[in-house]
Amino acid sequence: MSLNIFICGVGGQGLVLLTTVIGNACAKSGANVITGEMYGLSQRSGAVSVHLRIGEDAFSPLIPYGEADILLSLEAIETLRYIEYLKKDGIVLMNKRIMHPPIETSKIITEKESKYITLEDIVAKLRGWTQNIAVVDALKLARESGNVRTENTVFLGCLSALEAFPVDEKAIRESISEAVPKKTIEQNLKAFDLGKKSAHGSLCTLVPCRQLP
Amino acid sequence: MVLKDVLSKEKKAAFMLGNEAIVRGALEADVKVVAFYPGAPTSEVLDTFSDALGNFDYQMEITTNEKVALEVCAGAAFAGVRSLTAMKSVGTNVASDTLFVLGYTGVKGGLVVVMADDPHAHSSQSEQDGRFFGPNAYIPMFEPSSPQEAKDMVKKAFEISEKHRVPVIIRTVTRVNHQSGIVQLGEINRSEFKKVKWKELNEEYTTLGAVARRKKLKMLERTAKLAEEFDQSEFNFTKQADSDVGVVTASVSYLHVLEALKMLKLQNKVNILKLGTTYPLPKNTIKRFIKNLKKVVVVEELSPYLEKELCAIAKDANPGLEVFGKNSGVFSEAWEYNPNIVARGIASSMGVEYAGHEAIVEEAAKFKEVIPDRYPTFCAGCPHRGTFVALNQALKIQVAKGQEHYFSNDIGCYSMWIYPPISRGDSSLCMGASVGVANGLSHVIEERVVAVVGDSTFYHATIPALINAVHNGNKFTMLILDNSVTAMTGQQFNPSTEFTAGGRQGKKISIENICKAIGVEFVEIVDSYDVKGNVEVFRKALDYDGLAVVVSRRECALYGDRNKRRRGEKIVPFYVDKDMCKRPYVCLRTFYCPAYELDEDQQPRISPELCDGCSVCARLCPIQSVKRTEVKT
Repeated sequence: MSLNIFICGVGGQGLVLLTTVIGNACAKSGANVITGEMYGLSQRSGAVSVHLRIGEDAFSPLIPYGEADILLSLEAIETLRYIEYLKKDGIVLMNKRIMHPPIETSKIITEKESKYITLEDIVAKLRGWTQNIAVVDALKLARESGNVRTENTVFLGCLSALEAFPVDEKAIRESISEAVPKKTIEQNLKAFDLGKKSAHGSLCTLVPCRQLP
Repeated sequence: MVLKDVLSKEKKAAFMLGNEAIVRGALEADVKVVAFYPGAPTSEVLDTFSDALGNFDYQMEITTNEKVALEVCAGAAFAGVRSLTAMKSVGTNVASDTLFVLGYTGVKGGLVVVMADDPHAHSSQSEQDGRFFGPNAYIPMFEPSSPQEAKDMVKKAFEISEKHRVPVIIRTVTRVNHQSGIVQLGEINRSEFKKVKWKELNEEYTTLGAVARRKKLKMLERTAKLAEEFDQSEFNFTKQADSDVGVVTASVSYLHVLEALKMLKLQNKVNILKLGTTYPLPKNTIKRFIKNLKKVVVVEELSPYLEKELCAIAKDANPGLEVFGKNSGVFSEAWEYNPNIVARGIASSMGVEYAGHEAIVEEAAKFKEVIPDRYPTFCAGCPHRGTFVALNQALKIQVAKGQEHYFSNDIGCYSMWIYPPISRGDSSLCMGASVGVANGLSHVIEERVVAVVGDSTFYHATIPALINAVHNGNKFTMLILDNSVTAMTGQQFNPSTEFTAGGRQGKKISIENICKAIGVEFVEIVDSYDVKGNVEVFRKALDYDGLAVVVSRRECALYGDRNKRRRGEKIVPFYVDKDMCKRPYVCLRTFYCPAYELDEDQQPRISPELCDGCSVCARLCPIQSVKRTEVKT
């Protein structure tokens, strides 16, 4: 059986780096991995998505609809944009952070009845698809690590807490150290630990996790 | 991937992007000259070669366009030196003038052309099917489905190219270039880079008239030999099953087929022929495969290229064969495929049950009704946003005076002006065409034409159109958005800077000097961030009775950030002073910066994580309520 993770977010959040770290860790641990990456037209602030599949019977770089075990979103709005990929009752691992696109803000100042979408709106919608929803304040944890750009690594920490995540932590840590800029290795490893710890307060109440040492 | 894996001497398994695997394959094949113009989805081939440049002794150029890139490689290959270029689908159109002739002249050193099609037009203006370049130019073509195959095929392509003295196309699709997977690395044995003596090679590469006619016959002979050889190629393989139904497929569709058969529980129940050499086709292999089948499904994206060939072969080999594909309506010629689309097509051809995916997609659509679209947009700090605000104001003033406009857009980040909330653009075709069509439009429409190109597009394909405009006395306004780099594809260097591949020294070519030398009499240079000052310049350029060029200059924000980080400078964000802001929303109404949002008091708020500190919004605010964050020293 393969583990299918659909990752989404906004350009500039480091989805590709996150994918690279997981992929390299799989290569180190001898696991098969295949991805389909969609960067979008803009360099920043556009929608970005990655299909990540670990396991021997993952053939296509694209996850079939309704077969993602985990929908990992680095930005809350984006979670709903790709919901068709998630299994019914699959795991949503999402950021608390919302980055309102300019078009949404522009609508609010021109149309009186228009309002921003809220985290509560998004979670309420998601509940129609699955009950396994873990919301992470990744930006806060990234700040705690000393580098606001480590939201992606916070999520890597969350993933690694999952029993179903088949890559060992040592390989992930090595892979982080190889992939991120040298000056930020310490901060990224801290973000990883913070993410892992936070999972035990939220994600792990929903699905089986590894024991904390 | 980390660069370390591309450079590794170790024969290990590495996680690589398709584009990186292509580079690794070329390095293992001892490539000596590489040249590229960037274009999604191939840009990482250029970037990876550029990053690796200090480690190996190959020559690399980031060229002005794809045609020049191919010619750089052809020059090397004429002298017996291995070379490689990579280009996006539509880039091949630009290079095709040269490509077709290379079919006639042939080469001595291996010449590999990676051509990346973009089904679904993810990052292109069309879904063109480049496979027709193979048969049209009599140039052999390989199609990988995965990074591993891409690497292996690049190596083999160099051998085939030298053996048959012909360039070889590696035809990919976005889902191969931007697919990552495990790649088994081979050995890197690099030979020393040495110049050769041309006269000692005794070669010639001319073709014209009678010479062309003679070479055409040779080309046909060569193609027949290649077809024979490809019938033995390990890149065409079958997966046999004990049944009389089969699938013929190539490229990434092969991986979708494997997934679809798993979904349909048909694994090992359907014969599969996976084609890796798609020109010339291995006809005997296909013949053998279909001979005893009752039904065959052809799975390929875009046009029915394989299907038509297969039908022709089946006419003799198995006239009763039922062929399912585009012609039978099972598959569409539009858009890219995925495992679900392929499963549906195979299921309906084979008459087996498939639950379908329409229900889940429709259900999901209801979940998405509440979320806003997220269109591609300019980055925070992007100079184009400032240029656009000034241009828009200038256009408004002109409209009030009775002058109307046609907006002729081009290919680059500024293409995104067609998306909401800006939504401006009367046409946008391909590289340099904004100025090309401005020539024709200026003859026939009453409105003033405004043509826009970026620096890289200017060097790439705009200069001939500009010369044409001056020579013929055509009157329009041309904006050149010079942000120093080829930004949309990842900030590659171009002649607008003094750098080239690998960050090495290059000669900067002045855009304004080119315009003046061509004979443009109105040439103004402005700072893209100086919105207020630029309105007047743009207005003059719109009023000018002739061809007016304005160069709006400011480096790409991301490139600028990279430089700042290198120099150890901090990016200092701006903030909205809540006590001062009276909510006139000038920032939000005109600027559309992704760093902006509204806070709980409906006041504009700047996200410090996203703000680039460009200052343009502060300059626009009529009550000076946008301020630079104070930095403690």
